[in-house]
Amino acid sequence: MIEQILSNMWYIRPEIALTITCLAAILADVFFKRKALVAGVVLGGLLASGVLLMEQYGVSAPAFSHMLAVDPFSVYFRGVILVTAMFVVLFSLSSVEINNPRLRVGEYYALIVAMTLGMTLMAGSSNMLMMYLSLELTSLSSYILAGFTKNAPASAEASLKYVIFGALSSGLMLYGISILYGLTGSLDIYAINHVLMTMGANRLALLIAGVLIMAGFGYKISAVPFHFWTPDVYEGAPVTITAFLSVASKAAGFSMLMRFMKVTFIDSTFAGPVGTWALIPGFEFTNILIVLSVLTMTLGNLVAVWQKNVKRLLAYSSIAHAGYMLMGLVVLGNDGFAAVLIYFVIYMFMNLGAFFVVMLVSNKTGSEHIDTYKGLGSRAPLLSVAMAIFLVSLTGLPPTAGFIGKLYLFAALINAKMIWLAIVGALNSVVSLYYYVLIFRNMFLREGTGSTEPLKFALSDNIILFLLLIPTLVLGLYFTPLVQFAQYSVAMFGVR
Amino acid sequence: MISIEYYLLLSAFMFCAGVVGVLVRRNAIVVFMCIELMLNAVNLTLITFSAYFGDPRGQVLVFFVMVVAAAEAAVGLAIVIALFRNKLTVNIDEINILKW
Amino acid sequence: MNIELIDIIFYFLAIVVIASASVVVFSRNILYSAFSLLFTFVGVAGLYVLLTADFLAITQLVVYVGGILVLILFGVMLTNNVFNVDIKTGSIKTLPALVLTAVMAGVLCGIFFFTQWTVRPSEVVPTSTAPAIGMALMTGYILPFEVASVVLLVAMIGAAMIARRDTGKQN
Repeated sequence: MIEQILSNMWYIRPEIALTITCLAAILADVFFKRKALVAGVVLGGLLASGVLLMEQYGVSAPAFSHMLAVDPFSVYFRGVILVTAMFVVLFSLSSVEINNPRLRVGEYYALIVAMTLGMTLMAGSSNMLMMYLSLELTSLSSYILAGFTKNAPASAEASLKYVIFGALSSGLMLYGISILYGLTGSLDIYAINHVLMTMGANRLALLIAGVLIMAGFGYKISAVPFHFWTPDVYEGAPVTITAFLSVASKAAGFSMLMRFMKVTFIDSTFAGPVGTWALIPGFEFTNILIVLSVLTMTLGNLVAVWQKNVKRLLAYSSIAHAGYMLMGLVVLGNDGFAAVLIYFVIYMFMNLGAFFVVMLVSNKTGSEHIDTYKGLGSRAPLLSVAMAIFLVSLTGLPPTAGFIGKLYLFAALINAKMIWLAIVGALNSVVSLYYYVLIFRNMFLREGTGSTEPLKFALSDNIILFLLLIPTLVLGLYFTPLVQFAQYSVAMFGVR
Repeated sequence: MISIEYYLLLSAFMFCAGVVGVLVRRNAIVVFMCIELMLNAVNLTLITFSAYFGDPRGQVLVFFVMVVAAAEAAVGLAIVIALFRNKLTVNIDEINILKW
Repeated sequence: MNIELIDIIFYFLAIVVIASASVVVFSRNILYSAFSLLFTFVGVAGLYVLLTADFLAITQLVVYVGGILVLILFGVMLTNNVFNVDIKTGSIKTLPALVLTAVMAGVLCGIFFFTQWTVRPSEVVPTSTAPAIGMALMTGYILPFEVASVVLLVAMIGAAMIARRDTGKQN
C-alpha cells in the first residue's frame, strides 16, 4: 500500500506545488517588506505547478484508489484554472483595492492559491467524497476572499450571503450523495456506474439524488435557481476576486459536473456512433439540464439589461454564459463537451479582459457605475477600444473569439437535432447585445459629465491588457489548434 | 432491530426542518444552526446506510463532513462577527441583500 | 441485549431529536435555539451508538457539542439583541418556503419507503469501528485526509483574518 501511495504522488505533483506555494506566500509576507515580492513568489509557484501539469499531458490513469482521475480532461481544465489564477495575481498587483496598506496581502495570495488547489482537485475528482471536499475547499477560500476588503460593508455582506447559500447548497448536495450511497453502496463514481448498470436502482430515488447533487454544481456554476448569491457577491467582492470566481470557479464546477454526469450515469452498453453516448435508460437528467440552461441564460440576459453597476452587469452576463455552456452538456456527445472546452478558454480571455478594464477604470475613478464610462472613449482610447472588443466577443460576433465559441456550441446542438435550443441561445445573444451596447454607447457616443482629462495607465497594465486582448482577437481567426486540443482533451479516464 | 426506514425518515425530518429554518429564519446565527441540523441529518443517513450495509466507507465520509462543518462554522461565524462590528462602526441603515 | 430495550431507546432518542430540532427552527429566542441544538446533537450521537458507530458518536460529541456549539454560543453572546443580521428580503416568503419543503419532505419520505434498500444482514457481532475507519483514512482515503488538513488551515487563516480587529484603524 505504501509503495502504491508513494508512486501515486507523481499524479498530484502540481497540487503539491500549489500547497507549498500557499505556505510560501504566508512566509514571504512575513519576511519581505515589498508586497510585489509576495506576488512574485506566488506567480513562481503557479508557474511551477503549470510546468508539472504539462508533464501529465497524455496520461490517463486513476490515482489514490480512484480518488482522482488524471486524464486529458482534467489536465485541460487544470490548465485553464492555473492560467486564470496567474492573471488574477497579475491583476492584484495593480489593484488599488487590494494594495490598501491596511490589508495583509500574504493571506490574500495564500487563499488564492488554496482556492486554486481546491479547483484543480475538483477537475480531477472521481469519488464523491473527494468532490465534496475539494468543492468545500474552493468555497471556503472564496467566502473569505469575497469578504477580503472587510471594511467595505458590501464586501462583508456579500461574504455572508455567499456562505449561507453555499452551505445550503452543499447541504443539499450532501443529502443527494447520501441517497446515492444508499442506492449503490459506493462513493466511487465508476463503481456507482457499475452498480447502476448491473443491478439498477429505483429511478425516482436516483433522479432525486441527481437533482440534489445538481444543487451543489448549480451553485458553483451559478445556474438559475442557485444563482442568488452571484450578483451580490460579484458586486461586493474585490474586482480581482470577482474575475477569479467568474472564470475559474465556473470552470471547476463545470469540469466536475461534466465528469460526474458522464461517468456516473453513462450507459456503458450503448452502441451508437463513435463520439456519442447515452445516459442510463429511464433517467431523465438531460431534461433537467435543458430546463436549467434555458432558465439560466434567459434570466441572466434579461436581468442584465437594467443593471447600472458594470460589475453587476457582468455578473448577470456570466450567469448567461453558464447557461450557454450548459447547452453543450445536453448534447450527450463528445462534440458538445469539446464545444464547452473551447468556450471556456475563450471565455477566460474575454471575461478576464472585461473585468480587468473595470478594475482599471475603478482604480482611477473609484466607481463602477455605468455613467463613469461616459466619455471614456476620449479619455482613455486604448482602454475603451479594448473594452469594446471584449464586449463584442462576449456577445459572440465575428471576427472575435467569442464567435468561434458560440459557433461550435450551436453546431453541436444542430448536429444533435436540438435546433429549438440553439434558437433560444441565439435569441439570448441578441438580448445580450443590447446591454453590451449600452456600455459601448456610453464610452464612445456620450459626453462625460465630470473630469475630461485623459487617464494614464502604467506600462505593466497595458501589457496585461494586451496579453488578454491578443488571444481574444487571434482565436477568432486562427482557432484550429485550440479546437484540436479541446477535441483531444474530451477524453476522460475509463469512459468511451 | 429497528427497520432502516425509521432512521431514514427521522433524518428526512431533520433535513427538512433545517431547510425550512434556512429559508424562513432571518437571524444569520439561527440560519447557521439550521445548516448544522441539515448536516446532522446527512450524517445520520450515511451512518444508517453504512451500518445496514456493514460498510465503513459511509462513516469515513461522515468524518469528513464533520471536518468541513467545523471549518464552515468557524468561517461563517467569523463573517457574522465582522459584519456585526462593521454595522456598529459604519452604521449603514439596513443590510439590504437579495435585490434584483 | 434485549430487543425491546433498543426499540425504546430509539423512540426516546427520536422524540428528543424531533422536539429539539423543532425548537431550534421555530423558537423566537435565539438562546433557546442554541441550547436545544445541544439536545439534538446529543440525541444524534445516541443514535450513532445504536447504529454501532462508536467512533463517530464520540467524534460527534467532541466536534459538534465541544466545538461547533461553543462557537455558535460565542456568536450568540457577541451579537445577540444588538441587531439581527437580516439576510432575507421579501423574495422568499414563509408560505412558499413551507410548501416547497413539504413537497420535498413528501418526496423524500416516498422514496425512503418505496425503495428496496439492499440491506445486508450482518451476523458478525458489532465491534469497534475505529480500526476500520483508521485503516481507511491511512490507505485508500489518504488524499482526502491530506486535503482536509488544507481545508482546516484555510478555515483557520480565514477566520482569524476576518474576525481580527483592524489594527490599521487606530493608526
